[in-house]
Amino acid sequence: MSETVVAVDRITKRFAGHTAVDALSLAVPPGVIYGLLGPNGAGKSTTIRMILNIYAPDSGTVRLFGEHGTGHEHSARIGYLPEERGLYPKMRVLDVLLFLAELKGVDRRAGRTRALDWLQRLGLSDWRMRKVNELSKGMQQKVQFISTILHEPDLLVMDEAFSGLDPVNSQVLKDTILDLRARGKTILFSTHIMEQAEKVCDHVCIIARGKKLVDGTLADIKRTHGGRHLLINFDGARGAADGIFADRRLVAKADVSGQFAELELAVHGDAQEILRALVTSGARLSRFELAEPSLNKIFIDLVGPEAAAPVARPDPEVARA
Amino acid sequence: MRRVLAVIRREFVERVRQRWFWVMVVLGPLFFGAIFILPTLLAGKGGVKRIVVVDGTTSTFGARLTERLDRESLFIAVRVPAGPATADSLMAAVDAKELDGFLIVSDAAVDSGKVMYRASNVSSFITIGTLERVIGEMVNATRLEREGVNPALVAQARIRIDLDSKKISGGKATGESAAQSFSLAYFMGIILYMAILLYGINVMSSVLEEKTTKIVEVLISSLRPFQLLLGKVIGVGAVSIFQFLIWGVSTRLLISQRRHLLGEQGMSDGGGLFQVPHVSAGTAAIFIAYFLGGFLLYSSMFAAVGAMSSNEQEARQAQQPVVMLLVASFVSMFAMLNDPASTLSVTLSMIPFSAPIAMPVRWAAGNLPFHEVALSLGILTASILGVTWVAARIYRVGILMTGKRPNLKELVRWVRAA
Repeated sequence: MSETVVAVDRITKRFAGHTAVDALSLAVPPGVIYGLLGPNGAGKSTTIRMILNIYAPDSGTVRLFGEHGTGHEHSARIGYLPEERGLYPKMRVLDVLLFLAELKGVDRRAGRTRALDWLQRLGLSDWRMRKVNELSKGMQQKVQFISTILHEPDLLVMDEAFSGLDPVNSQVLKDTILDLRARGKTILFSTHIMEQAEKVCDHVCIIARGKKLVDGTLADIKRTHGGRHLLINFDGARGAADGIFADRRLVAKADVSGQFAELELAVHGDAQEILRALVTSGARLSRFELAEPSLNKIFIDLVGPEAAAPVARPDPEVARA
Repeated sequence: MRRVLAVIRREFVERVRQRWFWVMVVLGPLFFGAIFILPTLLAGKGGVKRIVVVDGTTSTFGARLTERLDRESLFIAVRVPAGPATADSLMAAVDAKELDGFLIVSDAAVDSGKVMYRASNVSSFITIGTLERVIGEMVNATRLEREGVNPALVAQARIRIDLDSKKISGGKATGESAAQSFSLAYFMGIILYMAILLYGINVMSSVLEEKTTKIVEVLISSLRPFQLLLGKVIGVGAVSIFQFLIWGVSTRLLISQRRHLLGEQGMSDGGGLFQVPHVSAGTAAIFIAYFLGGFLLYSSMFAAVGAMSSNEQEARQAQQPVVMLLVASFVSMFAMLNDPASTLSVTLSMIPFSAPIAMPVRWAAGNLPFHEVALSLGILTASILGVTWVAARIYRVGILMTGKRPNLKELVRWVRAA
């Protein structure tokens, strides 16, 4: 499996009055965890729905597993966890799982074995004959996650994978994703929470307002978009820190929050000079580290505060003005 | 196809597992039984009527009439001679419920057939019918005797006719009597109406459930919207057929054991009061064909309604036009029962939206030319294809749509765009 798993070529989708996705291209190589990142309303869900052929793009093409054809033909090889979760509330847990696996072409006996196995693994064995609506939200999330991987898909697509998960379930999901990658599966997920993406993604694609801003491996993006970064933690006294951070000869950009600051050095800025200035001004430091920028920093720099606000279907009158 | 089967299976199994399905299985026959037996019971109720015959005749007619009426099990009749205030005092007695009613006869009864009946309740057709019959017989006999005809001959001529009517079908007299045909038509109309409505709304809530729980997005990533719709409609349809099957088999069983059951309780056969309609194979085939046709037609419309609504409340509003269409067909059944061959009846049995109820009703009420059935079925089939095509498109766009319900203009755009 060396072909590109998902190849999206200049897809565009317009809804009444606004363009949700604008000539977006991306390529997901096999065996990686691929993060589709963007602020709310950037077009992540729409892109994913077009990849899965839930929506047809207005223009552009989607190729899956190196072949043309619709998501339906490949559906048995794809697992999908939509942003808005839901199961049949009145069905028994095991029956829901069997039904959804059957829709993916798994016969009932194999489906049963695998479902019981997964329920066991995620600690839901005792709940298999209960109705879905008797389960807690967290348990329902687990059941839904199981339903997306029961047919052992080669590609797992998750929209806002981590939203609404408690820390424990979040960890379970992350471990499972890493485990799937180790078995050669490809995972594509969208999120607007950069910390999570940074921990698990190999590749990322950042989009805003339907357009791609950057894509590539996480390492490449950090190298090309990061510049040199300084991570500083104060230990009480900050001295003349604000004045020093405002010196554009030393610091290009400063992101200060309380006792923590992330600085992007100016082209000729010298970290040693900043350290000296801070200490001289009476600041106490508990951390002073030259580092790669966080994904969050890159994201905010790229997207900018104005792009973070989604364009919500402008009124035709306003659009003309 | 395997995926469609999975959808059919789920719809079927989940429904049959639900308690309401079995409640319907048990309550259905009870309900339909009640529809038939209640009118008979209610009509026969009230027991014996106490009436007074106010005799204003100069002959023995009043006395003989009183005696004759008193012999009827329905009446206790007493004769009083007519006086100036008799009517007023009797009216007071009726008011006080000491009396059910009174007849006023004079010589005019025999001459012109004019008799007055005053009672607290004049809507009971059994009471009125018996009165008319008895008085008619008496008047006839009296007139004939007055003309010199031998009373014995009159008595002999007065044989009651029991008209045994049977429907002719295919050149043979069937086991279906006129009364049976009528009740069969009535019965089929009610069942068709209720089943199409019930199971159509079932399809709608199933669509709505998938939409509101958001599971539809997962489903649509696995199979085409049309496949999902198809599986849903077939699955729910199978449940309804299963239900009919249970009803059919258990009814057969009950009827075959009826004598046995009634005999054990020392009861008679009900004196033929409640006749179980004879259902021929042809009638059953027509019933099933039009039920399936009606169900397919209406359930796809109901599915579209479910898809364009985002909650129960919206759906209840949006379903009104579809329900009204069905109700109108049902109500027109009563007009058709009177005259199954009228222009109105024929027209209604050709219009696809009313045909599923109209045609079986006409079929049961009277023999129909084959070409009419064929034409009606043809129109119905074509309409199912057309309506399903439009409904599937609305369904396809609607199930992924959130927010406010579309207006007619937007719906047209959905159909065009899908």
